[in-house]
Amino acid sequence: MSRINKNVILALLTLTSSAFLLFQLYYYKHYISAKNGAGVSKSKGNRIGFDSTQWRAVKKFVMLTSSQNVPVFLIDPLILELINKDFEQVKNISHGSTSECKFFCVPRDFTAFALRYHLWKNEEGWFRTAENMGFQCLKVESKDPRLDGIDSLSGTEIPLHYICRLANHAIHLVVFHERSGNYLWHGHLRLKGRVDRKFVPFRKLQFGRYPGAFDRPELQQITVDGLEVLIPKDPVHFLEEIPHSRFIECRYKEARAFFQQYLDDNTVEAMAFRKSAKELLQLAARTLKKLGVRFWLSSGTCLGWYRQCNIIPYSKDVDLGIFIQDYKSDIISAFQDVGLPLKHKFGKVEDSLELSFQGKDDVKLDIFFFYEETDHMWNGGTQAKTGKKFKYLFPKFTLCWTEFVDMKIHVPCETIDYIEANYEKPKGDFTDQGKAFAFRKLSLPPVMPVIIHHELSFLHILLEDQNMCSGTVQIEHPVMLGMISVCTVQCSSH
Amino acid sequence: MDDWKPSSLIKPFGARKKRSWYLTWKYKLTNQRALRRFCQTGAVLFLLVTVIVNIKLILDTRRAINEALGRLEPSRRRGSGPRRVLDVEVYSSRSKVYVAVDGTTVLEDEAREQGRGIHVIVLNQATGHVMAKRVFDTYSPHEDEAMVLFLNMVAPGRVLICTVKDEGSFHLKDTAKALLRSLGSQAGPALGWRDTWAFVGRKGGPVLGEKHSKSPALSSWGDPVLLKTDVPLSSAEEAECHWADTELNRRRRRFCSKVEGYGSVCSCKDPTPIEFSPDPLPDNKVLNVPVAVIAGNRPNYLYRMLRSLLSAQGVSPQMITVFIDGYYEEPMDVVALFGLRGIQHTPISIKNARVSQHYKASLTATFNLFPEARFAVVLEEDLDIAVDFFSFLSQSIHLLEEDDSLYCISAWNDQGYEHTAEDPALLYRVETMPGLGWVLRKSLYKEELEPKWPTPEKLWDWDMWMRMPEQRRGRECIIPDVSRSYHFGIVGLNMNGYFHEAYFKKHKFNTVPGVQLRNVDSLKKEAYEAEIHRLLSEAEVLDHSKNPCEDSFLPDTEGHTYVAFIRMEKDDDFITWTQLAKCLHIWDLDVRGNHRGLWRLFRKKNHFLVVGVPASPYSVKKPPSIIPIFLEPPPKEEGAPGAAEQT
Repeated sequence: MSRINKNVILALLTLTSSAFLLFQLYYYKHYISAKNGAGVSKSKGNRIGFDSTQWRAVKKFVMLTSSQNVPVFLIDPLILELINKDFEQVKNISHGSTSECKFFCVPRDFTAFALRYHLWKNEEGWFRTAENMGFQCLKVESKDPRLDGIDSLSGTEIPLHYICRLANHAIHLVVFHERSGNYLWHGHLRLKGRVDRKFVPFRKLQFGRYPGAFDRPELQQITVDGLEVLIPKDPVHFLEEIPHSRFIECRYKEARAFFQQYLDDNTVEAMAFRKSAKELLQLAARTLKKLGVRFWLSSGTCLGWYRQCNIIPYSKDVDLGIFIQDYKSDIISAFQDVGLPLKHKFGKVEDSLELSFQGKDDVKLDIFFFYEETDHMWNGGTQAKTGKKFKYLFPKFTLCWTEFVDMKIHVPCETIDYIEANYEKPKGDFTDQGKAFAFRKLSLPPVMPVIIHHELSFLHILLEDQNMCSGTVQIEHPVMLGMISVCTVQCSSH
Repeated sequence: MDDWKPSSLIKPFGARKKRSWYLTWKYKLTNQRALRRFCQTGAVLFLLVTVIVNIKLILDTRRAINEALGRLEPSRRRGSGPRRVLDVEVYSSRSKVYVAVDGTTVLEDEAREQGRGIHVIVLNQATGHVMAKRVFDTYSPHEDEAMVLFLNMVAPGRVLICTVKDEGSFHLKDTAKALLRSLGSQAGPALGWRDTWAFVGRKGGPVLGEKHSKSPALSSWGDPVLLKTDVPLSSAEEAECHWADTELNRRRRRFCSKVEGYGSVCSCKDPTPIEFSPDPLPDNKVLNVPVAVIAGNRPNYLYRMLRSLLSAQGVSPQMITVFIDGYYEEPMDVVALFGLRGIQHTPISIKNARVSQHYKASLTATFNLFPEARFAVVLEEDLDIAVDFFSFLSQSIHLLEEDDSLYCISAWNDQGYEHTAEDPALLYRVETMPGLGWVLRKSLYKEELEPKWPTPEKLWDWDMWMRMPEQRRGRECIIPDVSRSYHFGIVGLNMNGYFHEAYFKKHKFNTVPGVQLRNVDSLKKEAYEAEIHRLLSEAEVLDHSKNPCEDSFLPDTEGHTYVAFIRMEKDDDFITWTQLAKCLHIWDLDVRGNHRGLWRLFRKKNHFLVVGVPASPYSVKKPPSIIPIFLEPPPKEEGAPGAAEQT
């Protein structure tokens, strides 16, 4: 008797609990879908048709932007890749005659669009309309890096990214800003304080991990999956740019601190040198770009960028680095054609190549070629006077974009390691008082004659590399002689 | 070994445990069937109740969330609890005034030789925030008119606080007294010489406190008075207008709840528009030229300036950036009201050098923000902008690209007064840089000016520096005969009321829209010389025996071209010109508006040319019989009244 009763109770318990559970489940689902603003009432739409959430989100977004006259363009690498694969076919499809959703229905978490900010007329109104259409938008703002270079300006923040979610798909709108140097810049997507970190899977975003720089793309209108969108005219070039788009800002604050300590040289000669060095750099950049040769700021020019965001007025030359695998035989003739005759050529393509061109107003352009080993890079240097050869070692580095004298230009991303390897290695930060002084001593004419910094860096290597200690080293430089003896003393103590 | 699975282990263990629990329970209740049944139903009921309560809870939570989201704003406002009261202290005396609200000093002025007159503070009746702070030196003439203007602009319901420092009655006229009476003040309308007075009242409402002390004698002041009073705060709904909920009105509401003294922009019934949508300009060449507005802490000026700028045909608001020198809130509020971009600048250095550093930072920032731009329009906060300002620039900007001998295009003619300017379609080339609304070429700034801009320790005027021959290098500016900007600023670093009245008030300002400029390409270097020679050839030579200062020097004709020759020994000899400028009542503080020793202006609707002989190359046009006019400068003491007045 009691056993039956107990069973009844148990059955009742189970029944009600499961009913309750079911209800909760139903309610939860209802609640979630209501919150997302999209009635997922019908089928989930798994078939390859025009009812996937991705396609619907993109369609709504395209409608929203065209109704507000916001000229967004597609930059999603995944979709651009697909479009690029059968580009001819896509171009030939006339409006509305698509039978199958091939591009926008591909399963993915995000679709990335971009916008040039200064073409955006009514941002607030757009935002409001987007929310009314059911998008949930997250706006990432930051201060304007274009004002960083100027002392003491504080502007309103500029938008960097919009992430707008519709159902379980999100549109990532990357806001491109115009920068001096004829390129587009987008910011780092940094989530601040109260932002819901689970709003979207941020880790899967294609843009925003770092700030990025791109050439300003020309656009074309095409119809993809029945939607009219703008895409870069040269999708291949744009796709190639994406993995190498990382941008680093010059350290304006540190540069200001540097100038507070060591007043900027504003003499007529310094300004004249800066002007001609800038022109030479721009000319070299144009020429190498035309040849399709990657290059970066090296040695003194790189130090100038890193330490003072400008050309060091007493450095007397412009230094560039190029990977030897990018070497082209017509570099020399191309430079000659633009009025930069070859002054010296050291080494061979197989070994420690260095080219030196004569620019206007006695400014020299030095191009060092970098050779890659398994765990380091190196370049060769030859002293013009003696013909001695040196080898400078660098830790491996990658290239980043930066802005320098109104140009988009490459520098090693690991700048500080690069410069340290390039120069005598100071122990602390480069802007430290003592070290900065040491540095100043290295390159300031009033203290000692200009030392070719490679010699110093050579010494540095010399001191570390015992094998070379046994060799005879002769450097005919008045200031270097003293240091050589130091080296000798150290060598003999081993 | 098969039993050695976790599940098979746990099951009997759990069952055994359950059984023992049931057994004890069963033991107790074996023979009490009624009780057992009761317990069973009780358990079921309890379960049901739990389920129902749970469901209800979920539903309630959901409703509550929805409601909370929907009513977040109003509920927060409503939740301000019981009406609060502000404790206000007002002090008035000969040498010091202060006002404290809830213990916080919002005004304190004990500086000597400063802040004389009636200090007025406006508080928001709902929050108690200071919305405006003004001082009207009603000891001096016309200041009471400004006070009346201001008090009339304050919205009804606001809390008004007045206090007198030193003297506030000498030029307090009847209109102002009547207004004070209408505010309910007893002592205000009867304010006498050197009386002290403190007043707190609600505009259009009751007086909340007033104290007054009469001055016993002409040579002494009234006793200091300290007024302490409580001001009840009203609810936010009463303090705000019910404008339709649009983007524009949201900006308006934000602005109007913070500041006072902008008149009808905050009017509840009929607010003045803050968006102007002027006609677009066909073929606008300056649509993408950035506009930099250089501002300080004169928010009322900025308001007036931006209104006129945004009403000009062909303006593109997203190209405008306002640069504010200092971290002032109110100018930023004005910028936000119009939905523009504002940038604040930490002041560097002092006086003119501060302005100069602010200019440099603003110009650099402008070209950084708009890297595509080849030009920038530079404006100041105390300028009215003509309706055809952009049309004027659009028609002339190509000159800056095509003619290297040009330094700038300016909207301002230094010599363009009501009686000396006539033709809105006419342009000149001048050797002086007028500023006050001008276009700067990027290459000029980046390559020449920026690198050697005066450093902070040099107390130079940026415009004086730009006019120096080292910078200008013989280049010229294009200006219109009738200015496209109007300088209305009376308060400023180098400005006061008298100076403004003498030199700026009667300046001609174009109000005709869409003026078609005449023969713009004749402004290019060579073409302009040809044009001048043509003009001089057909000009009638005036009677040089007459006094050029007399009105009769020019015949009473219309549309003629006349020429006069004055003595000018060297390129920098302006003795006679300065005297002539003085008696013509045009700019005479330094030389402006000349082109190779030639000045062009209008007199009695006739084009009037003045040539300096023999320095000017146009001296060849002088008939041999004519002796150039020479005017003697007056003795030194009176020689530079302008400079004395300026300080």
